Amino acid sequence: MVKITKEEVLKIARMSYIDIHEDEIEPMVKQLQDVLSYAQRVKEVAHDVAVPSNRRMNVFREDVVIKTNPEPIRSRAPQREGNYFVVPAIIEK
Amino acid sequence: MKKLAFASISDLRNMLEQGEITPEQLAGYYIDRFAKYDKELNCAIEVFDKESVLTSFCPQGPLKGVPGIVKDNIAQIERGLSCASKILEGFSSTYDATAVSRLKQAGALSIGRANMDEFAMGSSTETSAFGIAKNPWDISRVPGGSSGGSAIAVAAGLVPWALGTDTGGSVRQPAAFCGVVGMKPTYGLVSRYGLVAYGSSLDQIGVFTRNVYDNALVLSAMAGHDMKDSTSLSVEKKDYTQKLDGSLKENLKIGVIENALHAEGMDPEIVNAIEEALKVWERQGAKISRITLPTLDHSAAAYFIISRAEAASNLARYDGVCYGLRREESTLDKMYSETRHDGFGAEVKTRIMVGNYVLSAGHAGDFYNNAKVVQRMIRYEFMQAFKDVDLLVMPTHPAPAFKIGAFAQNKLQMDLQDYFTCSVNLAGIPGISIPCGFSKDKLPIGMQLLGPHLAEGLIYQTAHAYQEQTDWHTRHPEGFDS
Repeated sequence: MVKITKEEVLKIARMSYIDIHEDEIEPMVKQLQDVLSYAQRVKEVAHDVAVPSNRRMNVFREDVVIKTNPEPIRSRAPQREGNYFVVPAIIEK
Repeated sequence: MKKLAFASISDLRNMLEQGEITPEQLAGYYIDRFAKYDKELNCAIEVFDKESVLTSFCPQGPLKGVPGIVKDNIAQIERGLSCASKILEGFSSTYDATAVSRLKQAGALSIGRANMDEFAMGSSTETSAFGIAKNPWDISRVPGGSSGGSAIAVAAGLVPWALGTDTGGSVRQPAAFCGVVGMKPTYGLVSRYGLVAYGSSLDQIGVFTRNVYDNALVLSAMAGHDMKDSTSLSVEKKDYTQKLDGSLKENLKIGVIENALHAEGMDPEIVNAIEEALKVWERQGAKISRITLPTLDHSAAAYFIISRAEAASNLARYDGVCYGLRREESTLDKMYSETRHDGFGAEVKTRIMVGNYVLSAGHAGDFYNNAKVVQRMIRYEFMQAFKDVDLLVMPTHPAPAFKIGAFAQNKLQMDLQDYFTCSVNLAGIPGISIPCGFSKDKLPIGMQLLGPHLAEGLIYQTAHAYQEQTDWHTRHPEGFDS
């Protein structure tokens, strides 16, 4: 039986890089509990079948240089300096 | 120009060729219809101005001058691309998705961006950051989802075609709720280049139209191999309209999935509508048999796990660094977490959390790995069934369109809207939903016709033969005629 706790929700939220406010925790516990309780039925039925394998392959193509202008992509950045994306400092002084 | 609103693509092509109307007039006509009706329906996130639409006009090809709308998780060059999410605030695409560029090369015009559930996560178009979209048959009801805006636009005669995307039923279910045709092609038939990823191994671009012939026309223009999508299949371009002459394939065998048709909670009106449809095919010479796919009853559970797992991974890219919304914070971690807290809606956050849970150490064995085994079982059962029959029939939805807000307190019931559709994505096979009746409340009923991989031609032929004998697809919601 799946049992989701408040601590578990906080841990997954941290893993997901999603801040979670105090009033959002309880509803999230319930929703995870509901969907995972339903989903765990896959465990009861799962048994391997000999499926004729769908063709598995790597897809290769020629390594050709295609010139593109990166400027339109860079221009979407919330903050930039020249060719760099700017983010808050990672290393403290 | 009353008769234009619900004209077929074939009729529009004739009118354009005869010079009865110009592409400019036609685009203007539909853009005006949005202005008139979409305040109420809210099916478009943006409708473009006529001049900018015409700048990309390619005056040749099978769809020359025929306007449509594109779901807002499919890239259109220098147009906004929001996935109906706040996290993509202010973002615009630098290129056209392959599906869009191929339609443009075939002469089609895109006149807007269709509303949807945020990041295609939902079955009702209620999770959009741009507001709820409404079913034109009854505006107190949802249009289905996640491609609800696309389905509404076609159903209300605002455009003759629309693109949607289908990861677990997001083309077929809104098509059924709105009384139009919705095709989800074989995985890999249409390039995903330029489609914003949700569940990459399941996502496929699909087509909405008011009849089967038009649907085949649009798919023919965009299907086929694309170097830019390594999962796209090496198939030649094909004209899917070729066999649409009203006849069925000789000795056609159709199997009905009994455990779906008589599943718990099925609306008897839908069961009756499908039984009547089977009689139509039987009269045309098809042989009908009844089959059971036992693992189908577990497809929703497997789909929940696989789709959320892939979503958690795909949506990790929205971090406020390269594009979209950013919350200014003192540290990088805080910036990520606050940006994602404020940018994503509740449903998207839940799905990311479920995805990271089922992938995490200690849980992946029970959840993700078993879900992949169940996926193989479902695929196997479909392949076995297609040894005995050419096509399969099952319901698209257990009940007609529900009221807005009906599942606000019960998200699991909302998720289970995918019950009849998601097995098709898990198996990677093609499926179409076509109108097959109306409920006593005058709401559309749809049914699914499924085939083995790359059987789009046979599905279209069989669905078209049905429409030649019935008139469900010719009925339109009231109030959109003028």
